Amino acid sequence: MKLSTPAATLIKTKSSKYAINVITERCKECGICVAVCPTKVLARGDSRNRRGYRYVVPAYPDKCIGCKMCEYSCPDFAIFVEAG
Amino acid sequence: MAVTHPLDPYLRVDRIPTMWCPGCGLGIALGAILRAIDRRIEEGLLKKENIAFVGGIGCTARMTLYPYFDSAHVIHGRAIPFAIAVKVVKPEMKMVIVGGDGDIAAIGGNHLLHALKRNADLLVIMVNNMTYGMTGGQLAPTTPRGLYTTTTPYGNPERELNVIKLAAALGANYVARSSITHPQLLERTIYKALAKRGLAFVEVLSTCPEIFGRHIGLRNPVDLYMELKKKVTVKTNPSIEESDYDWGRGFVIGEFVDRDEPGFLDTYREYISKSFGGGAV
Amino acid sequence: MRYEYLTGNIAIAEASIVSGLKFYAGYPITPTSDIFEHLARELPKYGGHVIQFEDEIASINAVVGASWACAKAMTATSGPGFSLMLEALSLAVITETPLVVAYVMRTGPSTGVPTRSGQYDVLQSTYGFHGGLVIPVLAPSTPQEAYDLTVKAFNISEKLRTPVVLLSDAVVAHTYGKVAIRERSEVEIVDRSKPSTPLSEYRPYDPVDGLVPPMACFGEGYSVLVESLTHDERGYYAPRSDAQRKLMWRLYRKITESSGKLFDYSSLYLDDCDVALVSYGSTALSTQVAAKTLRERGVRACSLKLKTLFPIYEEGISKLLKNVEKVFVVENNVGLYYRELRGILKDRDVVSVPLIDLDVPLPQEVVGVVDKWL
Repeated sequence: MKLSTPAATLIKTKSSKYAINVITERCKECGICVAVCPTKVLARGDSRNRRGYRYVVPAYPDKCIGCKMCEYSCPDFAIFVEAG
Repeated sequence: MAVTHPLDPYLRVDRIPTMWCPGCGLGIALGAILRAIDRRIEEGLLKKENIAFVGGIGCTARMTLYPYFDSAHVIHGRAIPFAIAVKVVKPEMKMVIVGGDGDIAAIGGNHLLHALKRNADLLVIMVNNMTYGMTGGQLAPTTPRGLYTTTTPYGNPERELNVIKLAAALGANYVARSSITHPQLLERTIYKALAKRGLAFVEVLSTCPEIFGRHIGLRNPVDLYMELKKKVTVKTNPSIEESDYDWGRGFVIGEFVDRDEPGFLDTYREYISKSFGGGAV
Repeated sequence: MRYEYLTGNIAIAEASIVSGLKFYAGYPITPTSDIFEHLARELPKYGGHVIQFEDEIASINAVVGASWACAKAMTATSGPGFSLMLEALSLAVITETPLVVAYVMRTGPSTGVPTRSGQYDVLQSTYGFHGGLVIPVLAPSTPQEAYDLTVKAFNISEKLRTPVVLLSDAVVAHTYGKVAIRERSEVEIVDRSKPSTPLSEYRPYDPVDGLVPPMACFGEGYSVLVESLTHDERGYYAPRSDAQRKLMWRLYRKITESSGKLFDYSSLYLDDCDVALVSYGSTALSTQVAAKTLRERGVRACSLKLKTLFPIYEEGISKLLKNVEKVFVVENNVGLYYRELRGILKDRDVVSVPLIDLDVPLPQEVVGVVDKWL
C-alpha cells in the first residue's frame, strides 16, 4: 500500500555542529523534549500548528550537544537531530 | 517538504500523528522498539517482511496501527495465541506482541501464563501505565495499592501483580523491566530481546498523564514523566527479589533473567522430526 | 477413492486433511476430542501442525492467526467451547479470515449431558457472535455427509473469506458408516485468491471487482493489516457511518448472495408430496424413516433434509416445497429452526415438531406428532 504523507512542515534549525528538525504538524506540545534536554536548547514556541498545538522551537541551537534525548523522548516522531 | 524523520521508513506516516494523548509514553516506547528493529535489520538478523506486530485491545495494542509491517489489531487479551500460530506456521517470522498491563496480564493472563510455560518464541512487550487508560481510568492488575481509580473510588485495596516475577517463575528465556524515561536503555533491552529464542518478556513502565496522571494529581505530562523517572533505579543484573513492585519505594529496571533454553519451536520440531525423519515439518 | 467404515468425527478429520488443513488448534471437549486426537496422529504426516491450547479462546484465536499465515486452519468444539469462541468468530468475520469450526452439538444448556446429543445450538451456530451477520452453517447427518460437507466447508471459507461452521451432533459424531474417501486429486479444492497487485499497492479489504478481497498473508511483504475495528479498504480505522455501511453491506452480501450456490439438501418423494417433513442433522435419519412409514399408510409424505442451514436459500427452499400442503419441521430442540422456516414459508402451513431426546427422536415419535395434525 502506498502511503501518502500528509502535508507537513519541517523546520530545520542549524547550529555549528547539529541540525535540529521539528515536524511541526506532529508536535502535541507535551513539553517532554523541553524538559529532558540537558542543555536547555528547546522551548515552547508561540506559533500553533493546524491542530492548535504550540510546537516546540530550538531557542538556543548553539547549546545542542547532539545527544538526541529530545528525539528519543518525543512520543510523536516530531523532532530529530542530525549532525552537521 | 518531504518528512524525513529517521523512523519514517518504518511508520505508516499517513496515520501520524497517533491517536495517543499529548505526552503519552506509548510513542516513546514505539520509537525505541522501531530503532531496535532497525538495528537488527541493518545487521541482517531480521528482515522487514518477517516482522509482525500483534496487539489486543487498549491504547498499547493500538501500537499495531502505526508500524509499517505486517500487523494485527485483534481482540482483547488474545494477541498471544494469534501470534503463536503465525510463528508455528511460519517460523521465520519474528512476532512482536504489544499490549498494556490489562491486555497482557488481566484478560490475557492465562495466555501469557501458558506462553511462558511453553517458552513460546515471542517477544512480549507489556507497556505498564498502571491503569486502564482507553476506558477512562479503571483498576488495572498493576495499579498501585491505595490509589484512586474510577472503579475503586475509595482506593485500590488489592495487591499489585508483579508480572516480572510471574515471567521469571514460569521460565521465560529473557525477562526485563525498562522505562520510557530511559529511552536508550529501553532500545537496548528490546534490541537484545529481539535476538532471543523462546519467550522474551519486557515490561515497559510508562506514563498516562491524561488518566493516571490526573488521578494522582500529575496531569502535566512533564510532571508525571519526572515523577516516574525519580522512581526508577537502573541496576545491572538485579536479582528477581529486586523486581518488587512498589509505587512508594520505586522500581528497579534491568535484566532479571537472561538464559537460552530451547524455545517451544525447537522442542516441537524436534519431537515431530524424530517421528517423521525430519521430512514432515 | 476407497471405502472405509468411519464415525462422523473421524470422517471430518480425514476430510479436513484432504481439504488441505495445515493447522489445527484445540481444547479437549466431549464429544469432539477424537477429531483432535486423530489429527494429532495424522496431520503431521502431511506437514500440518496440531497444537493443544490452554482453552477454546486461545484455540480459535490461534486458528485466526494461522489463517493469516496462509495456512488452512480449523478447530473443533461443542457448546460450552463454542460459547467461548464467539468473540473471536466475530473477529474472523470482520477481518474476513477463512477458517472452519467443527461444532459437534451435545445436550445442553451448560454442561447438560456431555456424552449425548441434541440440536439446541442451531441458531447459536450462526447468530451467536456479536455484530449481526451470518456465518455459513453446514449440517451432516451421516459420516459420508460429514466427510463431504467438511470439504465443502473449507472451500466456502476460502472462497468467501469467512468462518464456516460444520454443525454435527453427538449421534453423527460416533455413528459408524461407510464413507467414500477421496484422494486429493479426486476432490475439488478451492484456495483463497491471492493479490495480483504490486506489494506497495495492496489493500487488504479491497474487493476489487467482486465482494471478496484477495488475501495476502503475513511474511509476504504486503504489510498486511488485520483490523478488528471498523475499517476502510486499507484496513484503517474508519469510525464513520459511510464506512460502516459499506463494510456491513459487503460482509452481509458476500454471504447471503451466495446462498443459492451454497445450498445443499437431499430429499425423498418430494415430487409427489402433500406433507413434507423437514429436518437436518441426526434427526433427519428418523424423519426419513417416518416419511416412509407414513407413505406406507397412504399419506403422501416426503422428507427434505437440509445440509446447508445458513445462509438460508429462501427462494430455493420455497420452490422445493411449493406444491406441499403442510410442512413439519422436525428437530431435537424446542423448535428453533422452525422459526426460520416459518418466516420464509409465510403462505404455507408450517408446524413445529420439537422432540427432545438424548439420542435421536425415534421415527414413531415423529409419526405420532404428525398424526395429530393430519
